[in-house]
Amino acid sequence: MNSEFKVLARPYKVWLSVLVFFPIIAMIFISISNLNSSVPFSDIAISFRHFELLLESSTLIAFRNSLLYASLTTLISFVLGYFVAYEIKKSKFKNKFILLTIVILPMWSNLILRTESLSNIMSENNILKSLIGFNIFGNISGTGIAVLFGLVFTYMPFMILSVYTALEKIDFSLEEAALDLGLTPLHKFWKVIFPLSLKGVVTGSIMVFLPTLAGFAIPKILSKGRIVFIGNIIENKFIYTNYNHGALLAIVILIFILGSIFLLTKFDKEGETLL
Amino acid sequence: MEKNIASLKDYGYHDFSKFNKISNIIKKLLVVLIILGLYLSIIVIAIQSINDSQVLSEFTGFSLKWYGNILNEEELMQAIKNTFLVSSIATVLATILGTFFAIGLYALSRKSRVIWMLLNNVPILNADIVTGFSLMLMFRLLMVVFPNIFGLFTLVMAHLFFTIPYVILSVMPKLKETDPNLMDAAMDLGVKPYKALIKVVIPAIKAGIFSGMLLALTMSIDDFAISYFNTGAGYDNLSIWIYAVIGRRNLTPSVYAFSTLLTIFTLIGLLIYQFLQKQKKGKKV
Repeated sequence: MNSEFKVLARPYKVWLSVLVFFPIIAMIFISISNLNSSVPFSDIAISFRHFELLLESSTLIAFRNSLLYASLTTLISFVLGYFVAYEIKKSKFKNKFILLTIVILPMWSNLILRTESLSNIMSENNILKSLIGFNIFGNISGTGIAVLFGLVFTYMPFMILSVYTALEKIDFSLEEAALDLGLTPLHKFWKVIFPLSLKGVVTGSIMVFLPTLAGFAIPKILSKGRIVFIGNIIENKFIYTNYNHGALLAIVILIFILGSIFLLTKFDKEGETLL
Repeated sequence: MEKNIASLKDYGYHDFSKFNKISNIIKKLLVVLIILGLYLSIIVIAIQSINDSQVLSEFTGFSLKWYGNILNEEELMQAIKNTFLVSSIATVLATILGTFFAIGLYALSRKSRVIWMLLNNVPILNADIVTGFSLMLMFRLLMVVFPNIFGLFTLVMAHLFFTIPYVILSVMPKLKETDPNLMDAAMDLGVKPYKALIKVVIPAIKAGIFSGMLLALTMSIDDFAISYFNTGAGYDNLSIWIYAVIGRRNLTPSVYAFSTLLTIFTLIGLLIYQFLQKQKKGKKV
C-alpha cells in the first residue's frame, strides 16, 4: 500500500491514545485522590483512604461472587459449548453458516429484555406455566441457579463460535492419519483434535469469563438483587456519585482483564480466533 | 483348529456400531436441548407479545393488539428513536472513519502496525463496565468546559469508541488480500493516489467494509453497559429504558412485540443474504 496513506492513520492514533489512556489515567487519579465535586480545586490531594473499601466484607463477598460465577459459567459453557461446536463440525449438513447463525441469532435480541423474560418464567406463576401446565424451572427465581442459567445461555454462543473457528482449521488429514495409526475415535479426539483446538477454547473462555466477571445487569435481574457482583457495587457507587470508589473497583476489574489478555497473547499470538 | 484363527477382536477391533447409534441419538437430543436453552428467552418474548392479557404471568388468548400499540407507547417510542438515532450516527461514522483508518494503519510499517492493532483491541476486550465508567469520568472532567455534553453527544462518542475497532478488524484482512499491484497499476495509468484509493481499493475491500458495518450496528444497537454510564439528561436507549422500568413496574407487552418484530426482520435479512450468496455461487459455477 502506498505509504502516502500513513497520514490516514494519524487521527486514529490520536483518538485511540486519548480515549484509551486518558480515561484510565483519570480513573487511577480519582481512585487515589480526594477529588470529588465538593472538594475545591486547591484542596485536591493524594489519599489512599479509598483502599479501605477493598477490605470491606461486602466488597470481598462481591469479588467472591463474581469470580465464582464467572468460573462456573466458563466451565459449563466450555463443556456444553465445545460439545455443540464439535457436533456442528462433524455434522453432514453442508451449510455450516446456517448452523452457526442459529447459534448466534438470539444474541441479536435485546440482552436486558431476554434476561427479564427468563426471570419472569423462573417465578412461581408464569406465562409458560399457564400455557403448558407445569413449571419447567420449578421455583428458582432469585437463586444462584437462576443467575447461572442466565449467564451460561447468554454467553455460550461466544464459546461455540471460537471453538468452532479453531476446529474448522484442523486439517482433516491429521484425523485420518490418527485413525490409520490405530487410535480409537476417543483417543483421536483427546490426542489430536482437542490439543489443536485449545486456542479456541482459551479465546472462548476469556470471551465468556470477562463479560460475566464484569457484568451487573444479569445477576441483578435474575437474583432480584440478592446476589451482588462487583459490577453491582460499581453501579451503586455510580448512582450515588461516589466516583472514587467506583474507579477503584473498575481498576481492579481492569487488572483481571489485563491478566486474561496476557494469557490470550501467550496462546494466540496472531489474535486470529478473536473474530 | 478354530481357536488358532485370530478374530478381529484380538486385533483390538471392537464393534461399536450399536453403541454409536444410541450415543448419536443422545448427542442429537442434547444439541437440540442446548439450542432450545439458547432460544428459551426469545420464545418467551414471542409468547408474551401475542398474549391478550396485560398481566405478564398468564396467557389468556391470542392477540396481535400489542403490535399495533407500539406506536402509542410514548416512552417506548422515544427509547426506540433514541436507540436508532445513536446507532445510525455511530454506525455510519464508524464505517467511514474505520475504513480510512484501516487503510492508514495498513500503510504503516509492520512493527508499528502490530502495536496499533493491539491498542485497537483494547476497546473490544475491555469490560463494558470499565470502558463505560472510565469514559464517563473523562466526560465528567470535560463538563467543566462543556456543561451539557451528557446525552446524544457522549453516547455517540462512546459508541464510536467501541465500534470503530470492529470496522478496522473486518477491513484489515480484506486489505491484506488485495493485490498490491492494483494500486500501482492505477497510478501508472495516471490516477492520483487518493482517487485510486476510492476507485480501486475501496471496491476491492467492500465486503470487509460491509461486514464491519453490520458488526458495528449490532454492537451499537444492543449496547447496555457503556451507554448506561454515558447517557444523561434522560436520553435513554432501549436497553437503559427497559432496565430502569423493570425495577419499578411491569413492562408493556408492546416491548415484547417490538423485540419479536426485530428478531423476525433479522431472520428475514439473513435468509435474503443466504439466498443472494447462493445465487452468486451459482453464477460462478
